[in-house]
Amino acid sequence: MDIVLRAAFAFTFIFFLTRVAGRRELSSLEPFDLILLIVLGDLVQQGVTQSDYSVTGLVLAAGTIALMQIGASYLSFRFNRLRPLLQGEPIVLVDDGRVLEANLQRERLTLHELQEQARLSQIDSLDKVRWAVLETSGQISFIPKN
Amino acid sequence: MADQPDGIVLRRHRDLVGRHWQVWLRRVLVGVVALVALLALFGFMGQTPSTTSATAAPATLSISAPSTVRGGLLYQARFTIRAHRPLKDATLVLNRGWFDGLTIDTIEPSPLNQGSRNGAVVFELGHVPAGSKYVLYIEYQVNPTTVSSRTLTATLEDGPRRLLSLSRHFRILP
Repeated sequence: MDIVLRAAFAFTFIFFLTRVAGRRELSSLEPFDLILLIVLGDLVQQGVTQSDYSVTGLVLAAGTIALMQIGASYLSFRFNRLRPLLQGEPIVLVDDGRVLEANLQRERLTLHELQEQARLSQIDSLDKVRWAVLETSGQISFIPKN
Repeated sequence: MADQPDGIVLRRHRDLVGRHWQVWLRRVLVGVVALVALLALFGFMGQTPSTTSATAAPATLSISAPSTVRGGLLYQARFTIRAHRPLKDATLVLNRGWFDGLTIDTIEPSPLNQGSRNGAVVFELGHVPAGSKYVLYIEYQVNPTTVSSRTLTATLEDGPRRLLSLSRHFRILP
């Protein structure tokens, strides 16, 4: 029973952390982020399984986390009101070539980062962007002007 | 062309109407995470040893050990007996709280004799001359599944005579 509770707590805590950390931090995978991700995984594993090396322990921990993930996605699918809480909401960053500074600040994004993301989408100037939206995944989608 | 992309509500997703509280909620939650780390720095999350002492005419007993530990943690308890008068047959009696859900890695120096008395563990330490110090180390590891809050009691005796007793609160965090 203990391992199920630990896995459930780990899932909830990581879910809470990811919601607190913000989207941009999680969507970028620079080398440092990648290493951090591996370290975080290792720390979580120690807290969940501790010194349990059994296959039973693996089944219990992985099964619990999978069930909670399914549960969270079902809640998000089933209840519209919970979706912003569970997944977040998109934020418009550029409206008809005009950068919305307040929205950038809110997500701790700089203009340079926005321009970099635009270049990655083969857009050389934000003036050519009709809409730029920071999606709930942390990716920025660009819709060019006609 | 539509005014805005499908699924985007300008009031909510551009003008952030009704969403300003979210930033503050996030800041508060970040504050909570920071507070937990800060509490740990100040020793509220366990592992920091503290010392408690009790004195009687024949001897002083001091115990240095963490009062809060976490599952799986390795730690040490140090029992220091300072004899003011000669103790012919110093005996340390530890209640079950010192052992339940904990793994004893080693006890140094090994007591001359060990036994059980009404569920408590008895360590016979032998002769401690007046003015000298006897130090007993117990090295522990917390069993990972143990979560508990309990009172630890250590009693110092000289043969059949009870000299002093010392109690500590002990917490094991998950």
